[in-house]
Amino acid sequence: MQTNVVLSIAKKEIMDNIRNKWIILVAAMFAILTLVVSYFGSLGTSGWQDLGLTISGMTQLGSFLISIVAFMLGYATIIGEIERGSMSSLLSLSANRFEIVVGKWLGLGAVLCFTILVGYGFAGMLIALNVSNVDILEYLVFIGLTMIFGLVFLTVALFFSTVFSKRSTALGGAIFLWFLFNIILPIVFVGLLATTIDFTQVTMETTLTVPDWYFALNLFNPISVYSSLITIAIGPVQSSTGSGFIPNPSWYTTGLLLGVLLAWIIVFYILSVWRFQRKDI
Amino acid sequence: MVTQVVKCPNCKTTMSISGEPGEKIPLTCPECNQKGMYRIPGQKNSGTQEIHAATIEVNGLTKTYNHTPAVNNVSFRVNKGEIFGFLGPNGAGKTTTIKSMLDLIHAESGSITINGIDMKTNGKEAKKYVGYMPEKVAFYDNLTALQNLYFYAEIKHASKQECADLIQELGLGDTGKKRVGKFSKGMVQRLGMARAILGNPPILILDEPSGGLDPRGVVLIRDKILEMKKKGTTVFVSSHILTEIQEICDRVGIINKGVLVAQDTVEGLSKKLNLRPHITVSLDKMSATIEDSVKKLPGVDSVQVKGNSLEIICDGAMKAKVILAITNAGGNIQNLQTKEPSLEDVFMRYTEA
Repeated sequence: MQTNVVLSIAKKEIMDNIRNKWIILVAAMFAILTLVVSYFGSLGTSGWQDLGLTISGMTQLGSFLISIVAFMLGYATIIGEIERGSMSSLLSLSANRFEIVVGKWLGLGAVLCFTILVGYGFAGMLIALNVSNVDILEYLVFIGLTMIFGLVFLTVALFFSTVFSKRSTALGGAIFLWFLFNIILPIVFVGLLATTIDFTQVTMETTLTVPDWYFALNLFNPISVYSSLITIAIGPVQSSTGSGFIPNPSWYTTGLLLGVLLAWIIVFYILSVWRFQRKDI
Repeated sequence: MVTQVVKCPNCKTTMSISGEPGEKIPLTCPECNQKGMYRIPGQKNSGTQEIHAATIEVNGLTKTYNHTPAVNNVSFRVNKGEIFGFLGPNGAGKTTTIKSMLDLIHAESGSITINGIDMKTNGKEAKKYVGYMPEKVAFYDNLTALQNLYFYAEIKHASKQECADLIQELGLGDTGKKRVGKFSKGMVQRLGMARAILGNPPILILDEPSGGLDPRGVVLIRDKILEMKKKGTTVFVSSHILTEIQEICDRVGIINKGVLVAQDTVEGLSKKLNLRPHITVSLDKMSATIEDSVKKLPGVDSVQVKGNSLEIICDGAMKAKVILAITNAGGNIQNLQTKEPSLEDVFMRYTEA
């Protein structure tokens, strides 16, 4: 692998997306939403909430948005270039397909991480100016974990971009996957969980024990992994999800959850390279 | 096979070895058991001199889509410094061949070497020698023309100055700072040529370079190709504009329905097909004597009378004798036109259904 080739491709991706300007809009949107959540997020209180509360409010909203942004960045990166015709020229250069995938991933990843950093960072600074006892480190950990989470979806999108032979089907696939992780899987998993509970035995005082298989299943949904990871890594934040809140089992550790997210990235990364190597342009 | 006498570096015992030039031979000294490697001097001989001169060599290339071969067992050679025209009707397999040559699509079988480097096993190295202009020229629309070229220049190790110069040379004037998304089809095509020749590659592969260009653009691209040839560049160019190919090509290959049906110079192909010049002679008065005197001549294929004109197809060497015969028979020639067999005739003949 030639570093300068990879960096040239990464740089081109960054320039292309910045010139596109939509990514600037996305960063602004993150900042505004974070501020809104911080100011109006909790019922019964008004005014600025501290960063911890803001994080808990932002985890769910953020996972919705960041998965969309990552998909938008990545779903067309390969197939879009093939369809437009610029891929032939890119591949005629002395750059192999592996280097192209690495360059694109790095470039798009940088754009995504930068957007998250600017959006959340700007809002974080504004909040820090307005509340006392700010835990900056905690907030930085939150931003870092969110970046890793974003990269998971970016890599999955990259894979989609190599699988489908049309940009439009890749978009369809990305939209389906977004619904799958954000809406369908959580409903199905909770549904499965509900079938195991004998509701005739449930009284107000009963503490339900959630079986381990439920948590194991949730490892297959990066969105659940991300929200559990935030809770564990940053400490028990008061969840805005209210009664639906299920405490994490003791075997959920930062290392395990982080490992799962990294595994998602590695697996889909390898799959992307593998698919792209075989593709006719 | 070369035989050499070598000395052991340790005990100076001499021994005789033989092998091909460039070959490395492991040796053990019979006296002191010193082990070593000896390389027989000279270049590795890769066959005949002719093969050595080839810069693009395609052998037995086959690519199948849904069980239908798009390209079937195509083999050809492009020699150093020549312009090779690649012709064929739409859908004949031109672009499939070109894309396979660059490993953009993976052919089932066949080998492609560029400057002696195998494209399939060492594509990254082989591509260093190639400038390519695809059939569908596309850039990154959000970036300006210059930003686009800078990106390619970085990978091709070309300078920013060269990018700016090429934009001027291809008649794109002061559009360097304009977004490519705002370019017209013709401008994109010119920029595509600039990208192909960026970094002065020794081999150019151009897929329909004049597509979508106005006449001025066509001339510009043609001149650029000739200029590159002068620099010693080898050019492989596909086109369906036959006159353009005829003017600039040293040799042509014709592909039809995925099969390479001919590979030669234009003249060579005309000879093979026995294509002959057409002569049209206008006379002030036509007579049967004149017609007969021409028909009698050996080497005349056909004579047709159209009003006061004679349309004659004959052997190229007979032209003067035809004229002489007409004059001797009392014909008074007003006008004379000869049409040499063109690439179009060759093309039509080879791609007949």
